Amino acid sequence: MTSDLFGDYIAVLIAAILGFVLVGGALIANLILSPRQPTRTKGVTYECGMLTIGRTRTQLHFRYYLFAILFLIFDIEAVFLFPWAVTFLEIGKQAFWEMIAFIAILGFGLAYAWKKGVLRWR
Amino acid sequence: MLWPAMTQLNFQWELLAPEFILVGWAGALVLLDLFWGSSAGLRTGRIGKEPLGYLAAAGAVAAALVSLFWIGDHKNFADLIDVNNYTTLFRVFFGLTAAFACIASARYVKDRLLHPGEYYALILLSVVGANGMAAASELLTAYISLELLSFSLYVLASYDKFDLRSNEGGLKYMLLGAFSSAIFLYGISLVYGVTGSTHFNAIGEVLKGDTSDIDMALLLGLALMIGGLGFKVAAVPFHMWTPDAYEGAPLPITALISALSKSAGFALFLKLFTQAFLPLIDDWRYFIAALSVATMALGNLVAIQQQNLKRLLAYSSIGQVGYLLMGIAALSPESASALVLHMIGYVVTNLAVFVCIIIYYNWTGKEEIKDYAGTAERAPFLALCLSIALFSLAGMPLFAGFATKFILFQSAAQEDLLWLAGVAVFFSFVSLYYYLLIVKEMYLGEPAERTRFPTPWLEYGALSLLVAGVMFVGLYPQPVYDAVEDSTATIFAAVEDSAAVSERP
Repeated sequence: MTSDLFGDYIAVLIAAILGFVLVGGALIANLILSPRQPTRTKGVTYECGMLTIGRTRTQLHFRYYLFAILFLIFDIEAVFLFPWAVTFLEIGKQAFWEMIAFIAILGFGLAYAWKKGVLRWR
Repeated sequence: MLWPAMTQLNFQWELLAPEFILVGWAGALVLLDLFWGSSAGLRTGRIGKEPLGYLAAAGAVAAALVSLFWIGDHKNFADLIDVNNYTTLFRVFFGLTAAFACIASARYVKDRLLHPGEYYALILLSVVGANGMAAASELLTAYISLELLSFSLYVLASYDKFDLRSNEGGLKYMLLGAFSSAIFLYGISLVYGVTGSTHFNAIGEVLKGDTSDIDMALLLGLALMIGGLGFKVAAVPFHMWTPDAYEGAPLPITALISALSKSAGFALFLKLFTQAFLPLIDDWRYFIAALSVATMALGNLVAIQQQNLKRLLAYSSIGQVGYLLMGIAALSPESASALVLHMIGYVVTNLAVFVCIIIYYNWTGKEEIKDYAGTAERAPFLALCLSIALFSLAGMPLFAGFATKFILFQSAAQEDLLWLAGVAVFFSFVSLYYYLLIVKEMYLGEPAERTRFPTPWLEYGALSLLVAGVMFVGLYPQPVYDAVEDSTATIFAAVEDSAAVSERP
């Protein structure tokens, strides 16, 4: 059983080596063969043909990140609620209480964030 | 289709009562702090930071007491979690460990940290993880429990968020911890791939038969799992995170990492290797013995050079892991009991050391060894307790360290590992040197000032209890040894039970 277990990996090994050789070969060939004539205009950031405004690097407020995390609560809730709703009748009472417990845990997280003032946009 | 089969499993939710208590208590602490805590913006009726610590300790003790209800039982929850004497011993042990950590935290957190509710909640959640690691009878449950414990500790290690060292230590701990989890998980997948099960007993069954055709993958999986667990308990090639995490973490958390995380790691290590991998002992015995020697050597030799007390204790704890690994290399019912006994003695002693350091840090805010100069004059009781604990760590007679080490070394010698026991004795002598350096500093050094320190009664009470524990285990280890023997007997009995079942047809 196991001699096969590792025998099968030969194919993976060959594919991996081949992949590295092909990609590496293409990159190196490009490096050697391509003509290079850099000018200032060529180095400018390209955005739909318009001139870019300001610097490329801007700071985003940390708040967005917290909102994204909070969104995750509802996301996960939806992901689990749909399959739950489909099999709800087969399983019965237990499913109901388990989902109540699950939502209570998620609600705890939301209440925590709310009280900590994460939802206030200042 | 799946459901009827699953309802035949044993869903006795009450078996998990201690864990429910811990989780509920943790949630309640967060809410208490959120609505009535020091930062809630109330004018009156606020709960200070300090009482939260005592409340958390009460919760941990409550969970430990409730778990006593299952002494002598052989129950199993849904084929995933065993509730037997082994589990009960560790539930009580982890609960009490966390309670001491909470009490030691109370004043430290009040003076130096923010968000006390979450801090104590995370400590209680880490106990849930530790309980799960001792109780799991299946690899994935063990893995999830391991992650619960580790995640709580990652956050706690970087809890002093305005201290760069804490951030650095926490980040290193998290990155290396995540890496080791991946390794462990890969090991699980390989072992599952060749044995077809994640249940410890079922794996043991398969391995008892002819394994010559699955050798390669099995050994790879085994090595990866040893590596993953080695990271968690800080065995030598995998120890790099320990000194930084220990130095950076807030002091009570350093105590918690060295006590809870290490002993939970060994609880899982021991159970897994007894129930699942015992048939292969000839394949991994010398591997673990080599790890053990490397761990002892590096931990004890590098500890000599340390100036910072936390780093010294980090390396000394690595050295202790070397002794504990010896019990796994010589795996037998006797050495398993000796291993758990040494672990209990080590944790009690280590907690005593850390309570001393925390008290001293609360007074002075210093943690270098040379800062301890003349402590005996300014706080005689503290110096005495710290000396007793350090002597016990070094393995001097009268104290826990000697009795437990003696039994451990003896059990290793019985399993033809006399040379390993010899190496361990040698490094015990080496360790005496750096522990004595601290004692020397305390008793012979000149204090910078001569004023007495104030007496923190509660911390001194906890410290007295721990030191009494050190002396008790040192002078009269019999009752503790009996309890430990009862508990390890259950994991060895589980191996024989499953053998009896398979022989019947």
